[in-house]
Amino acid sequence: MKLDVNALGTFYRMAREGAGLAAGRLTRMTGVETQVGVTKLNFMRGTEIRRDFEDGTEKVGIRVELTGGIEGHSVVVFDRKSALRIVETLLSESDTDEFDVEEFDEMNRSAATEVGNIMNNGFVDGWADVLETVIDVSTPEFIEGTSGEPFFGDIDEAPDGGDLALLFHSHIGAVGTEIGFSHYLFPKRESMAQLLEHLRTSDGIEYDKLDGFDRMAEQGAEEVAKTATTLTGIETSVEIRRLNFVSLEAIPEEVANEKLVGVAFEFDGTPSGYLLFLFDEESAHEIVDAMVPMNAPGDEDGFGEMGTSAIKELGNIMASGFLDGWANVLDTTIDHSTPEFIHDIGAAAVDPVIIQLGENQDFAFVFDTVVVADGREFDCEIYAIPDESDLERALNDLDVDRIDETPTTAEFQEVENT
Amino acid sequence: MKTYGSEPGIPDPVQVGISELVVSEGDDTLKSYGLGSCLAIALYEPDSGIGGLAHIMLPDGDKAANSDAKPGKYADTAIRALLRRMVERGASYTAVEAKIAGGSDMFEFESFGDGVGKRNIAAAREELEKLGVPIIAEDVGGTDGRTVEFTPDSGKLTVKTANGDDGVTEL
Repeated sequence: MKLDVNALGTFYRMAREGAGLAAGRLTRMTGVETQVGVTKLNFMRGTEIRRDFEDGTEKVGIRVELTGGIEGHSVVVFDRKSALRIVETLLSESDTDEFDVEEFDEMNRSAATEVGNIMNNGFVDGWADVLETVIDVSTPEFIEGTSGEPFFGDIDEAPDGGDLALLFHSHIGAVGTEIGFSHYLFPKRESMAQLLEHLRTSDGIEYDKLDGFDRMAEQGAEEVAKTATTLTGIETSVEIRRLNFVSLEAIPEEVANEKLVGVAFEFDGTPSGYLLFLFDEESAHEIVDAMVPMNAPGDEDGFGEMGTSAIKELGNIMASGFLDGWANVLDTTIDHSTPEFIHDIGAAAVDPVIIQLGENQDFAFVFDTVVVADGREFDCEIYAIPDESDLERALNDLDVDRIDETPTTAEFQEVENT
Repeated sequence: MKTYGSEPGIPDPVQVGISELVVSEGDDTLKSYGLGSCLAIALYEPDSGIGGLAHIMLPDGDKAANSDAKPGKYADTAIRALLRRMVERGASYTAVEAKIAGGSDMFEFESFGDGVGKRNIAAAREELEKLGVPIIAEDVGGTDGRTVEFTPDSGKLTVKTANGDDGVTEL
């Protein structure tokens, strides 16, 4: 199975189109004004998807099976509270009595299923429009649970532990409320392979090479967490790690709309690109306190020369750890620039990078990592954004045997020669 | 479309994301967050109170293949699209004025050449001059990010930076 930017771009357009239609239908049905959040193509491993579901909140899902143009499962997932609020909105329109819906009885359940079904159909219609094909939808299933298991544990195409799956992932929220939901599409591998083959306009990248590279990038992320622990004495670990394929414009939108502290690098080699470490202010102060034992005076930004250089140094060593991991797998050298310190609104730190890349590409693969500490403030978001053509070249040069030599559980015998 | 669960009367600002442009009139507030090297271009016509805001990321749309589909992404095509939509709404072309903000150079990377922010500012100035639209105020360049709010009615462009005492500038 091979993929290229054109095929993924079409997938991205499908995900956007589907999310737009689904949001519009939710608005029409409930009168609630909705907004489509960031839409992504996620390359995620089974364990990471499960972790997404295990945030302690109760969830409600409405799942349908798809056949025809795309085969797989489409699941709309609400926080249980959001689902109840939506049901409340629907039912109170037909009934003037004020009432709070707190449990899913038969009526609520069927109302929620109806909402979920209409949303699923919105997504599916959007995809069918883009692909100019017909997709058949099964009758919806109502699912409740606090882990991933009930939502996709029993479907074959959902990835097991270490398998890398391509997911369509969108978030839609209601303006001015807490109501929001996520949508996941788990396509069947054969169905996706067929679509990719059909949509591909270039030689593209072997899917298993991308998988192998991502597995190695995972070690780079672990390396970063270890480095941070050594330098700061704060026990840190990798919380989220995924590979996204997104439009460039979506990248700054994802960054918190608040003042952040960051260290940025450009890197040069095969691949070249940009690497950003972003901390919230509290975490940055915590790091400075940990690394600069003397209470050094801060300037008006609150970090001072000592603080700034401590953060730059931490960034520098983390960047080396991250990129050395890549270079080792790719058997190449990747140089990085000296660190650039930034203390500004998050999006402003990211937009120069997407502008520069935007001269030659519309989409980007983003290696997205979040490192956190237990019990203390240390939240670090890492964005590695390689130049697209360089990445393609790097992956095509990637010697899969080299990955086999390193201890992983990858099943490369699955490589299909399409 | 009604907004459920929020107070009537004070409408939320309309967000203008990267590569987007919005034309409006009256006291609607148009807002772009966290401009780094991106540039906010606000055009308005004082008599009719019609105006618009674009949040562009690249200088040259005429060279790009997809600028028809995404005019708001490029300085030149965004300015022309704003003008066209404003005139369609009833604005008088010759009275349109411009304000611009953003285009900082946050990083000194080798790959950035003279600076990605500078290129956006230069492209906007050139296109506005070509079309005879005067720039009556600007807050561009530097190394700080900006958040802007624009009200077509008054033509007021409020620029906030995250750093220092000069937090808010009104253009």
